[in-house]
Parts: sequence; C-alpha cells; structure tokens
Amino acid sequence: MNTKTWMKLCCMLALLGLVLAGCGNKEPAAEQPAAPAASSAPAATPIDPATAASISGTVKLDGAAPKAAMIDMSQDPACKGMNMAENVVAGGGNLSNVFVYVKDGLGSRTFDAPTAVITLDQSGCKYHPHVLGVMTGQTIKIVNSDPTTHNIHPTPKDNREWNESQPPSSAPLEKTFAREEIMLPVKCNQHPWMRMFVNVVKSPFYAVTGPDGKFEIKGLPPGDYTIAFVQEKLGEQDVKVTLAAKDTKTLDATFKP
Amino acid sequence: MPEKPIPEDDPVVSKSLAPHYLICMVILMATFFWAMWDEDFGQRPWKTFQHEWKNRYSAFLKSAVVQSGDSQKQVQSSADYQKLQQDYDSARQAATPRIKEINEKLHDLSAQILAVQNVFTDRRAYVNALTYIIETETSPSSKKSKQEDLAAYKQKKTTVEMPDGKKQDFDFDHLEETYNDLKNERTQLSAELGELIKPVNEKKQLVDSYLSDHMVSLTPSQLTNLLNGVDAWTPKIRQINVNEHNADLVREDSSNIVDRCESCHMDIREPVKLTAAAMAAKGKRPDEYARAFTSHPEPGLLKIHDPDKFGCTPCHQGNGRATTSVEKAHGNYEHWLWPLFSKGNYESGCQICHSADMVLVSNDVGWTLSEGKDLFRQRGCMGCHRYEGYDKEPEDLLSIGQQIKQIEQEKRDNTKEADDLMKQADKADTNDEANRLNDRAVALRVTNSKLDLRIVQLDRSTKSLLQDLKKVGPNLKDVRLKLNQNWIPVWLKKPTDFRATTKMPNFRLNDDQIKAISAYIWQSGLTDPLPKHKMGDAAHGKELFETRGCLACHSIKEGDEIEGGTFAANLTRVGEKDNYDYLVRWVHNARERTRPYCPYEKKDIGPDDYKKKGLPYVFDLDHSKCPNDGHELQVQNMTVMPSLRLSPSDAEDIASYLITLKKQEPSAYPDASFMNDPKLKDEGKKWIRHFGCAGCHEISGLEDEGRIGTELTTEGSKPIERLDFALFTETAQRGNVEPITDADDLARLPEGPAKLPWYNQKGFFEHKLAEPNIWDKGKIKPETEKLRMPNLHLTKEQVRALTTFLLGSQENPLPPSYLYRPEDYRRDIQEGWWVVKKYNCMGCHQLIPGQRTSLMSMARYKDAQEQLPPKLLTEGARVEPEWLLHFLNNPSLTDKDTNRNGVRSYLQVRMPTFSFSENELGKLVRFFQALSRQPFPYIPQDVPLLTAKETDMARSLFSSTAAPCLKCHATGDPAHDKFATAPNFLQARGRLKPDWMERWIIDPQAISPGTSMPSGLFKRDNGHWVFSGPTPASFQGYDKDQTKLLVDYILQLTPEEQRRVGAAMSHARASNSGASSTGKTAGGAGGSK
Repeated sequence: MNTKTWMKLCCMLALLGLVLAGCGNKEPAAEQPAAPAASSAPAATPIDPATAASISGTVKLDGAAPKAAMIDMSQDPACKGMNMAENVVAGGGNLSNVFVYVKDGLGSRTFDAPTAVITLDQSGCKYHPHVLGVMTGQTIKIVNSDPTTHNIHPTPKDNREWNESQPPSSAPLEKTFAREEIMLPVKCNQHPWMRMFVNVVKSPFYAVTGPDGKFEIKGLPPGDYTIAFVQEKLGEQDVKVTLAAKDTKTLDATFKP
Repeated sequence: MPEKPIPEDDPVVSKSLAPHYLICMVILMATFFWAMWDEDFGQRPWKTFQHEWKNRYSAFLKSAVVQSGDSQKQVQSSADYQKLQQDYDSARQAATPRIKEINEKLHDLSAQILAVQNVFTDRRAYVNALTYIIETETSPSSKKSKQEDLAAYKQKKTTVEMPDGKKQDFDFDHLEETYNDLKNERTQLSAELGELIKPVNEKKQLVDSYLSDHMVSLTPSQLTNLLNGVDAWTPKIRQINVNEHNADLVREDSSNIVDRCESCHMDIREPVKLTAAAMAAKGKRPDEYARAFTSHPEPGLLKIHDPDKFGCTPCHQGNGRATTSVEKAHGNYEHWLWPLFSKGNYESGCQICHSADMVLVSNDVGWTLSEGKDLFRQRGCMGCHRYEGYDKEPEDLLSIGQQIKQIEQEKRDNTKEADDLMKQADKADTNDEANRLNDRAVALRVTNSKLDLRIVQLDRSTKSLLQDLKKVGPNLKDVRLKLNQNWIPVWLKKPTDFRATTKMPNFRLNDDQIKAISAYIWQSGLTDPLPKHKMGDAAHGKELFETRGCLACHSIKEGDEIEGGTFAANLTRVGEKDNYDYLVRWVHNARERTRPYCPYEKKDIGPDDYKKKGLPYVFDLDHSKCPNDGHELQVQNMTVMPSLRLSPSDAEDIASYLITLKKQEPSAYPDASFMNDPKLKDEGKKWIRHFGCAGCHEISGLEDEGRIGTELTTEGSKPIERLDFALFTETAQRGNVEPITDADDLARLPEGPAKLPWYNQKGFFEHKLAEPNIWDKGKIKPETEKLRMPNLHLTKEQVRALTTFLLGSQENPLPPSYLYRPEDYRRDIQEGWWVVKKYNCMGCHQLIPGQRTSLMSMARYKDAQEQLPPKLLTEGARVEPEWLLHFLNNPSLTDKDTNRNGVRSYLQVRMPTFSFSENELGKLVRFFQALSRQPFPYIPQDVPLLTAKETDMARSLFSSTAAPCLKCHATGDPAHDKFATAPNFLQARGRLKPDWMERWIIDPQAISPGTSMPSGLFKRDNGHWVFSGPTPASFQGYDKDQTKLLVDYILQLTPEEQRRVGAAMSHARASNSGASSTGKTAGGAGGSK
C-alpha cells in the first residue's frame, strides 16, 4: 500500500468522523408538528329520507302460552287491579312485549339522543309499559300514579345501579342510561311482582311489539342489517336482512315457549 | 569547516514525515470527535431520550391545549360558570374606579414622601448625633450649651421642594410630623386597597376553581404552563436522592436510594395521563421512546408512596444509578442482583414491604399478588414451606409454652426471695428495717399473683391457638370411618383424575409407594363406632345445599358447568368415596372430632382414659382438658368448615343428596384389601414422612412432623447461583429450548415455552411451579433423592400469581421504617384480613366495593339480590362492637332455636357458626371497627327519650303510606315475614349505632350499593333533613331533623308498639286480600323467595 492510499483513507475517516458528529448533533432537532386534535372516523353518509326503507312484521308464539301466574297483591291494600303476571302475553298466538332493534349494520353512524321524554308509569302496582325502548342519554320520566310508595330499582349489567323511593303524588323522577343494554331489569323491592325491562340502544331504530304482536321500524337507510328480537324469558333471535332503497320488508319471528 | 557531503539516502532529505503526522492527526481528530459523540450520546443515551421527549411531549401538549380549550369553552358556557364570571366582572367593575383613584393617590404620596424623606433623614441623623453627644457629655455646663445648640438646630428652617415644584419651609418638628403623616396616609390607603381587591380576588378564585373542578383534564392555562416548562428544559440528569431529603435514613444508612430513572422516564409524575399511543411519533406505532414517556399508570399509588421518599427501585427494582444503557438501568445484566420486575410480575415490588399484609391495603380488587398470597395458603404450600406470617399457630404455641416456663421459674424465684426477706425481717435490728423488708416481701407476693393471672391469660391463648390451628387437608385419622377403602389408592395415583380442581397435588407416586402409604393410613386410622343414620330426603337436601350457602365455598358440576366457590372441594363425585354416616356427622358439624388429641401425651384420648378418672366421655370447647394430665386438648377437627346449625334431619337430607353425587358406583373400585397387610405399615410411614403428608393432614403418629420444604420467606433474594437449574443451566442461559415437554405442564407457563434466556429467578420459579420435577429430568437419582415437590396443577395465571409472590419475597434492603408494620388502627386491619381470608368470609360477603362473592355470580341470585348475604362495607360503623362479638360467637343470637339466622331471618343462606377462638373474635371485631375508623373501645351514644307528641309524630311517619317501613322489614308475624326483605326493627337497639342509622335512611345506596332499601326518602330542606313524601300534619312547625326523630323512635320501639303499628297495616291488608287469597306470588322470576 503506498502513501497516497493511506492519505486518502485517513482523509475519508476524518470526513466520516465529521459527518457522524454533525449528524449526531442535528438528529433530535427535527420539529414535530402538533398532532391533530382527534382523528375522527370518516363521516358516515347522512340518511336520505327519500331512500329510507322500513321493516315491519309480527312476532308469534309457537305453542300454548304458559298460563299467566296469579299475583297476590294483598300485601299492599293500595294495589288494586288485575292480579295477573304479564311476562309472556300472547293473544291468539301473537307475542307482545318483544323488543325489536337493529343490532348491527349501521356502521359508524351515531345518533343524538332525542329530546322527547319517555314516560314510565306505575299504576295499579304495575309498570306501564312492561317493556320499554330508549336511546342512550334519552330521558325517562318515571311517574307514580298509585296511592302507595314505590321504589324504582334497576339492576343493570353495564350501567350504574340505583334505587330511589317515590312516594305517592311526588314529583316524577327523571333518569337516563348512558350505555347500551338490552333487557335491563327494573323492579320495586316493596312489591316483588313489579318488574319491567328497559332496553337502552344507540340508534332510534327499535320497536316493541304490541298486543297484536306487530312492530314497525321506519327510516332505515339501505344496507345489510342484523335485526334482533328479544323476549325477557324466551331469549334472543337474530335475523339478517338486506334492505334496498325504499324497501318495505316484512320480517316475522316465532318464539317457542 | 569542510562541508560533509550529504548522504544519498538521508531520510531527513529524502523522506517526508507528513503522512505520519497526517495519520496521527486524523486519528487524534477521529478520537476527538468520537469522544465528543460518546460524551453526548454514547455514554448518555438519556440525552437522546430527553431530546425526543421534548419534541413529543410539547407536540402532545400543544394538541391538548386545543382540546382543553374546547372543553373549557363548554364549561364556560354553563350557567353556573357564567354567573360566577358575572359576579366577578361586576365586583371588579364596581371596585375599579376607587382602586384607580387610590393607586393615583399612592403614586403622588410616594413622590411626596421621597421628597420629604431626603431632607428629613439628613436632619434626623444630625439631631441623633447631637443627642448622643449630649447624653455622653459629663460637664453640666457644656451639656446645657449643647442642648441649646440642638434646640437652635431644630428651630432652623429648611426648604423642601415638593414634586409639584412648590417650595416649602419646615423646622425640624414640623418636618417630622409631615413625614409621619404622609407615611400614615400611605399605610391607610394601602390597607383600603387590599380590602377592595380581596373580594374581587376571591371571586376570581371561585371562577378558576369552578373551571378546574369541572374540567376532566387540565385547563389550557395549566397546560400552557407545562408547555413552557418543557420548552425551557435543557437535558440533564433527573435524580431522586433519598438520603438528601431524609435525614433519618442517612443515619440508618442502608437505604441509599439514588434513582435516575426519571432521566428517561420523564413523564412519570406529569399531572396529565400519558399513554404510549399518545406519546408515539405522529402516525407511527408506539416505539421504545413512546413506552418510556408514559405517565405512571397508577398515580394513586404514587400519592401514597411519594417518589421523593421512596424513589423508584424499592418497588420496581433495577439499577437506579445506571445511566449508560437501558439494559444496565433496568438491571438486566449479570452483575446486578435485582433486575427490574417484568410486566407480569410488577406487583412483586409491593410484597417487599407489604409482606405482613394478606390483603394489600386498598379499596381495590384483582391484585395478582393477593391471589398469590391466597394460593400459598389455600393450596397448602405452607404445609411444607415455612413463610413468615403463614400458619404461625404452632410457633406461637411453642413460644407461649416457653413463656409459661419462664414465668413459673420467676414465681419460684420470687417465693424464695420473699421467704428470705421475711426471715431477715424477723431478725432485723430495728422495726424500720423489719418493716422495709416485709414490705418488699409483700410486693413480691403481689407480683406473683400478677404472674399467676398472666399464666391464666397464656393458658387461654393456648386454648385459642389450638382452636385456630387448621390443616389444609382432612384429618386422616378418620379414613376408616369416612372413606371407601378401595377408593384411596385410586385417589393417590392422581388426585386430579378424580377431581380436577382439588387442592391435593399430584405426587407422582409409584404403585409400591401408593400401596405402602394407603396401608399405613388405613391401619393407623381410628375405628370408633359412628352413630347410624337413616336416609333422608335427597330432594330437600339438594334445595338446602343450594340455598344455605354451601356453594360459597364448595362447587358442584365439572368443566364449564362448574358452579360455586373455589375455596373448598368440588363435591361432584363425593358419593363414590364417602360413607353416609360420616357425611351426616360432617355436614351437621364438621368440627366434631372422633377422639380428642392430647398434644402433651401425643396421643388420641379415648373413652378408657376418661373412664379411668371416672369422668364422662365428653369433649368439646367447654370440656377441653385432658383427663390424664389437665393439658389443653385438641377437641375439634382442624378444618375451617363451620357449622351451619342445621337440624339433624336437615343434615341427613343434605348428606342423602350428596351421597347421590357420583359418576360410578363405589363398588366399582378395584379391591384394595392389601391395605390391611401389616408388613406394609412401616414402609408406608417412611414414605408419608418423606413426602411430608403431615404438613396438610392430621396423621396418626406424625402429629409433630416439621415442614419438609425450604423456607420461602426470602426466596426471591436468593442469588441465582443458589437456584439449581440442574442440567438446564445452559439451556436457560441460551433460552432457545424449552425443557418442559408435557403438554399440560407447558400450558402452565405464564409466558409460554421459553424463547428468550430465562436464567433468572422468574424463570426458575415459573418452571418449578409448572413442572416441579423438571430439574430431575435427565438425572440419575434413587427414589428417595428425587425432587419431592408435587405438581400443584396450577393454571397459567396461578403460576404467575405465585411467581409474583415469590419474587417479592425478599430480604429487605430498605430500612425497617419502610416496612408496612403499622402500630395504630391499621394494624388491626392488617391482622383482620388474615382471619377474613382464612375462613373465606368474602365467599359470601362483599368487604371491598366491587369485589365479587362466589354467590353473586350464581344464577339463583341474579334476579333475587335481596337474598344475598349483606355487604359489609361499613360494618364497623354500623354495629356496636359488643354486639358484633356476641353475633360472631353465635350468629343465631339464641341458645334455644339455633337453626336460623339471628338477624336476617328472611335469608335462606345461613351465617354459619365458625367457633372462632377468643383470639380471632377479638381480631375480627377490631378489624371491622378499624376498617370504618371507629373509636375503640366504643362508648354507646345516649338516645334521648321521646315525648308522647314526638312519639306520635314519629309513628305517623314510620307507618305512613309514603314511608312504609314495615312493608319490607320483618316484624315477627309469620304471615307478614313471608314477604320481608329486611331485619326486624326490634334488633336495632344494642346492635346499630344511631349515627350510622341516620346516614343509612338518608342514602342507603351510598352505604350498600344495590340494597333493597331505596334512597331519596329524605331531602335537605332549610338545613334539616325532612321527609320527601307528604309529611303527616303533626309535623307542622317541627324544625329538627326528621331522620333523627325516626332513628330515636326505632331505637325505642317496643314489641307492643310494633305489633300495634303492624296490626293497623295488616288490618288494611285483610280487608283487601279476600279476592285473591289463594294466589302464590309470582310476577317476575325473582317474585317471591
């Protein structure tokens, strides 16, 4: 190896050293721009009422309805009215009090809680309605029309539990539930037969079957959906359905006792 | 001088040294730059961290300011805030003109004072000097002349130029007066200004605190302050030096905590919550830096353990001083003995100081470490391994025995000395001397009587300790009475084959060992006759079994269907192994022993021993003295299983049900009559001793066996060289091969099969717990030298929990003051948890908010939560200690009809009788009082006697339709109590503390979340608690707390009064119930229970 090669090599080393030192110093200086406030999901397309579809149908009970048990309400003289349990009410094979809602298929759409207030009435030591649908954050107004004291005691799985007393002719209680929960039981500890179910959902697409077993859900944008039918005793049935624009589909369900 | 010819090849001429210099220069330069680089980055990697941190944190803060600004706007738009802001604005506006005026005046005054002051101070100095001269002057004449001088000087006028340009003449006195006046005026104005500004500032503070109280995160201005701090940050070492702050520790001089962890973990103590995702570079996944810059995930823990006092390494381990690399700082290199606890085991750090705690002091559930501590006892680890704090009754018994011996010696010495003294006194020269000696003798005799009482106390402690002494496994003296003989060898072969969840571990016994062991146990068993029982009603037994609370500890069914607690045995196949008659006795009272055992004679005492002394053959807690020598006997089975106070027929029913639980007939087991072979007995005893069976079981002839395993109290600090990895040392160091091959055992490894090197304590413990004989693999050993530790068939999570526990079991390098060994009420809590856990109180009761009991998750209680045992979140504040003691001793609160609950007669689940010793009763009562921070001893509150009018008022409230107390609370009337879901009010007096009762009726949901008793019965009105419903007319004008009135009434309630009120209500009921008298309540699933 001759002198020249040596010199070249050394020069290169020196340069390398300089470069390295230079780079090292500069490295952390790169400016980090501020991160965006919150990366919001791509906005869902708004629902066009012109293309909105709807589903409706009837829920049936296949088989003899179990005989409604009698309730002994003599414990409280103030409780008058029908002494009949109401868990499975089926007139002519039609099943009422089935909660029907869109379980899946709405994607990232979010819905604001409606300002409309839903009323839950206690009269004749029973809840009216027995099954209730409500959106997350929507106000439920609880009224006591009985001449006796009730207490309202929801026992939720995913919401906060509370238990409040409501004397006769006192001001209505106003409550909301923050998280989705289906068939959230509500009871009155003083009248053990009093039970009802609140269904808290995130969308306005839900319905409760009437005494004729019928329901209707309107205003759905076209798409693929899973519709769930939930009965407090008989469990849940899921049905998949595809809705085109302006579709009106009929969706029936049958529960077995 | 002739010139020498220059040599041809003179190197000075022909060769240049330039290249050499160049090389040297380049090398020097390179070294220089390398040194520079190393200085900044190589040796100081934390500098890069801090540069990176600055960028990322300020980026984070900038975006946080924006977000926070939005939420601030939201808060600011609220009506409350607006009002506060308005108040502030108007106050400020009202005050502003005057403030401005005063400020102007003050400004003028200051200028005036300055002008006067310049002249005045000069003159005053002169006056002072003259005065001093006069004072020190001795001759009266010159004194007088000086005084005249002074007076003349004071009279002389000077001119002061005021700030407004006016000139004024002053003599000295006038000047002084003016000066003082000006200053006074300034003070007054300043005070007025302060008074004016104060309310404005207060209002401003209200606005600010409203803002920070209602913001979820920090306010923009707080964030901006943080951001300014970040921008001004220059890289430097951040260290916690405990010695510097804490002089105590320097003296004790072993803590020496110097932790520089925060030089990289810059955000640990930041007041904002920082996750790795938030600290990741924009659009990238969280990297090494992002993970280092997170804030401490449990800021609450840092509040209790102030880092300035505790540093980082006492909890986390690692080398707190190292700064040259991540590995070194974390202590993950061969020269550091305490590597950082890894993620899955970080709670080990708690154990280092909290080893005396069974439950870590907190309102939290779900601690891995707590599970480890539980497992160590539950799985019987303490049967073989000593661990400080666990199962300490035998040691305590020993030490009490020694104390008694010492005291007896002391007594003998005292008696002797007293005798001596009295003799001396008799012969004393003077009466004084005699009296003095006699007094001393008397004092010694009094001392002896005190010592006698002390011995009585110690005897009682002995009795307590014998009662507290429990074994993990059943008493094997009873095998002949209890078990199907043929089942025993099958069980010993592999207990998990019979019962997958059993506590009994698999000992890997060979057939000869099984034969010998079972033979010894069988032949040494007692053969006393058992009373015969008729078969009961199995269906009723099943109902009782499922409702009385057996499932809080026991489980039934197998696999996914398993239901009940994990504390005691799964009873699914109990019918294959148990004798019915024994089972009845066990269900009725598991503590009932076949024969009492005398620890002094070391034998089971039988009827003959009693007969010899002419005593009846009766032994129980009240008859626990040995007939032969008067020593305390073990009169109970050493099981934690309590008595449910069942009637004999209920016990028969339950046993009849249990005996039906089987998968095959007991007769299907192969014959095992070899167990009767006496030749096997000695061999069997040898193996039983070898495997340490007596650690968990009571076995005849082996009652005093010691523990066979190594002590584990400081196992975690054993140097790695002392843990024997046997043939796998290199494998562990390299970490490429997993020595465990058994699929079941592999599944027990928390981190899965080894990939990385695992030559450390964690690796050792995990492998040992997953497959305890792993270190025998490949070794050639005789049977007696093989590793004895059985396979505990743990799950992955259980291995992790036990490893966490063991890793933290260390010889503590910190000063003793760091250990959590409180001396106040917290010590009662600490001791109480050991008892609570010992008897599985938490299987039924909730003691920590959020804690799940075994019963809570059962389908039976899903819709009938009012049927669950009460929550004990405020038990100490609720009940009087005296009552609690009585209740714990006998939960039926009566001696006659004990087959019931004393307080909550409406519950089907039964509070059992645990036969707690005095010692444990005391601990439990103190525990509950301490948990609620109640004073101890408790001095009962006086309850004021109500006037007739007040009683009437209270009654009308008590029975009004709006507060129908008796609708849910039991009254003792069976027709009514069918529907009761709350205790009888007559029990309140002597049981409940009035203060607690008042809090309870105001907001029961806050005391026992989910209780049947609703909140909202009372509301705050005009500074008093008043009823929320329509108030009875008699309350017109009543201005005291109505809650208090109701509580006082309840505390004075008599049975007659209750009957009267109840009758009034049931009268109304009777008139209504005619229509539907046949109806059985139904309604929802949980309708009537």
